[in-house]
Amino acid sequence: MDRRNFVKLVGTASGGAVTGACGRQAEEIIPLLVPEESVPVGVEQWHPSVCGECSAACGTLARVMASEREIEVDGELVRQKIAAVKKLEGNPLDPVSGGRLCARGHASLQSLYNPDRLRSPLKRVGPRASGQFETVSWDDAVAEAAGALVAADPGRILFLARAREGVRSENIARFLEAIGAPPATSIGVGDFAAEREASERVYGRNGLPIYEIQDSTLVLSIGADFLGGWASPVLYSRRYGHMRQGRRELRGRLIHAESRFSLTAWNADRWLPVWPGGELALALAIGHVLLGERIADAPASVVAIFADVDLEQAAAAAGVPVDAIRQTASELAQASAPVVVAGASMVRQNSADAVAAASALNWLLGCVGKPGGVIPPAEPLGVLARQRRFSGDWSERLEQASVVLVDGVNPAYNAPASQSALADAETVISFSPFLDDTSAFADLILPDHDPLEQALFEVPAVSPSPSFAAAGEFVAPLYDSRPIATVLSELAEATEQPFEELTVGLAVSRLHSAVESVGPETSASEFEARALRDGGWQGPPSGELPTTPGTLGAFEIASKQEGVVFQAYESPQFGSGSGANRPWLQELPDPTSSALWGLPVEVDRATAARLGLVNGDNVRIRSEHGTLEAPVYVNPAAIPGVVSMAVGQGHASYGRYASGRGANPMVVVGDLREEGTGCPAMGPTPISIEKTAGDARLVQFSRQDRDLPPHRV
Amino acid sequence: MAEEATQQAEGGTERTPQWAMAIDLDRCTGCEACVVACASENNVPTAGEDQAAMGRTKHWIRIDRYYEGEFPDIKVKYRPVMCQQCDEAPCEPVCPVNATYQNAEGLNVQIYNRCIGTRYCANNCPYTVRFFNWFAPEWAEPLNLQLNPDVSIRPSGVVEKCTFCAHKIKRAKLDADADGRELADGDVQPACVQSCPAEAMVFGDMSDGDSKVAKLLGSGRSGQLLESLGTKPRVFYLEKAD
Repeated sequence: MDRRNFVKLVGTASGGAVTGACGRQAEEIIPLLVPEESVPVGVEQWHPSVCGECSAACGTLARVMASEREIEVDGELVRQKIAAVKKLEGNPLDPVSGGRLCARGHASLQSLYNPDRLRSPLKRVGPRASGQFETVSWDDAVAEAAGALVAADPGRILFLARAREGVRSENIARFLEAIGAPPATSIGVGDFAAEREASERVYGRNGLPIYEIQDSTLVLSIGADFLGGWASPVLYSRRYGHMRQGRRELRGRLIHAESRFSLTAWNADRWLPVWPGGELALALAIGHVLLGERIADAPASVVAIFADVDLEQAAAAAGVPVDAIRQTASELAQASAPVVVAGASMVRQNSADAVAAASALNWLLGCVGKPGGVIPPAEPLGVLARQRRFSGDWSERLEQASVVLVDGVNPAYNAPASQSALADAETVISFSPFLDDTSAFADLILPDHDPLEQALFEVPAVSPSPSFAAAGEFVAPLYDSRPIATVLSELAEATEQPFEELTVGLAVSRLHSAVESVGPETSASEFEARALRDGGWQGPPSGELPTTPGTLGAFEIASKQEGVVFQAYESPQFGSGSGANRPWLQELPDPTSSALWGLPVEVDRATAARLGLVNGDNVRIRSEHGTLEAPVYVNPAAIPGVVSMAVGQGHASYGRYASGRGANPMVVVGDLREEGTGCPAMGPTPISIEKTAGDARLVQFSRQDRDLPPHRV
Repeated sequence: MAEEATQQAEGGTERTPQWAMAIDLDRCTGCEACVVACASENNVPTAGEDQAAMGRTKHWIRIDRYYEGEFPDIKVKYRPVMCQQCDEAPCEPVCPVNATYQNAEGLNVQIYNRCIGTRYCANNCPYTVRFFNWFAPEWAEPLNLQLNPDVSIRPSGVVEKCTFCAHKIKRAKLDADADGRELADGDVQPACVQSCPAEAMVFGDMSDGDSKVAKLLGSGRSGQLLESLGTKPRVFYLEKAD
């Protein structure tokens, strides 16, 4: 779908659509949103939606066509005409996706049509995590949940929610305020807590800056796998393509520093393999060398953090040779439009410091707010009054909580240490559409609609200018699920607490009155209609940029850990693990290992030779936190002594495609925290590794990895 | 064939487009968005773990990746590979029932209901981009609702492969006809091209000198996969510029 065709098509597609039914009985089960004649067989409609897979919040278009399904009515199979989503593409009018979409975004269709979706509310009847539930009515489920909330001390109610900003998070905040409970928190996954903390220190603003790499001549990324899933992968891939080949006779260069050979490292002109946790030392060392080469009127507070760095010590802690550091600094100094992309794709214990120091390099280079440089985070839109906050003490609060509500996060998987607290909590209520690792602990599961089945209003984590992505309803829900805002309204009513739901329409009209740039010539209703037709809104770039950094603080370089260490990372296909129940993604070759339907432990060649390991051998990885067993992939690009594993497999419960498949690396990483924010870290964790006689299978796509001749049928 | 088409155009007769694709490896990040986009557009079924272990996955488009060198001086080479739509296609002459042939627009066409499943074509393809259906495809309900009604489901016993999204080409022609205009450059976007976040893939009529794809083919970085075999692919790779 390109921009021209989209504009043409939205003119013919209705703002809302679409379900029909062939018989009276079926019509009673799924009500018509619009008459069925508006979905002629074989004719496509395109409706804006918002991708829910990561915090990027890409605007999408859903291709909707007439279809039919079989449902049982009074013991009889009835064929029901419905409107079905056939494909997702990027929305060309959306500033983030620009009409493009990543693998996970495409595969989110298999969340909507996943055969393991919950079809009604469930109540636990067996022991926690046993997976034994019975179907209950919504009335009974809401009454029971309300009873638990009323009986609880409001201070001991804990709401764990996704790290997203939009109408959904606002409604959760309003509900918690109404019942006197503390604000919701994420579990630190996909939250960019370290980057946000660093932004506060470097730019005085909470949020993610945007890197103008499309206009850069040299990009140095430190710890940010921006092509493999960090922050906003579609937006940055678009910009990367332009940086390489979008300008006449000017090809930008990329140097990437990270402790694994990620997609961004694949694409780099030079990869600097950094010892896990050494990103801070590397940034400080590069800054120190830069002081002797180029200082673009850098503020004194910035110069101060680099001045006294011991280059030899920093280089040793980073595991990067001094020569490579000097060369990188020299290239940055000579570049006409350099920028340093600072991030923590794999959060370390010192990531907030590392991102702050790497970001401060941009002040040295004089590229803050410049073309090809970095634009500090925009001010919030002002529509969502209650800002989302991550609480670093969420797991301690979980241990004290009497009622735990969970929406869109999976602590039992991403933080396995939380399982005992989930098992001990008096009441656990989940809004998950799936019986996942965490909802298996729930007393009640109140399944939410799929994102494609509900109205949405989301603020992207990174956007070229203030914007939101929005969607109206266009297909009826498949099952007896309910949107979370509706359930929260019902819970508030049952507990006799005041709660006013913020609808998508209301949020859009509030933005109309809050933001001057919308323009007085457009009425609120026109603005809302246009926003829902186009799939969102993008304002002009935010006004004044900060001209001086905030308080950067002092930095301490820790020495490099000795021995073999382990790190977990988020892969492009599975993210934090939520993609594992989509068959398309299970059968998508893992970029590093080409593994299908499983993920291996990645071991470097030297360690593999020492232990006599070849691809497919099984190993046991042991840390002080836990043990896992998995097949091995001997990664020719792994740093000697650094064992890596992608997050994604090892779900105790997550439907037929993911349950009981492979191992969860977070078991070995353990309860490691980023020191500044309390955000969960993904290593490095000291481990021991040994070969075992296990029979876990490594299925690989690449014949090169299996020493086989090229593909044959 | 491209020259003939241009001559036709110059002679005033209706132009027969000559479809080709350019893939800029300097833009491609290896993210595999194209792989899932293709599966979604073309109803490509998943094989499951056991069949995958036997090498029976069906990826109409894949990312070939090869590590070169030793740590720390290691590089990875990768490229999206799909049916190369060869002008001199090795798959065509070996088919005993003419189920695969090159049409006037340069597409290597596969007729599923003519195919008798000898697999000679797949064995003769140097790019290994043809897939035999050992079993009828299955989708656990309601995953079947995701199926694209514009693309037929291939039964067991036949070979399938990338079509350059032939159904989208047809649709673009019908739309252009309905609008009373010529097909314009960019009207046809196969699913992989449409999806590519880095805009690494460009599709179009290479016999139209003004088309984006024709200009990229003349960029000096263009080459073909296994060019020495003489298969004359319609997929052109623009090598990295480093």
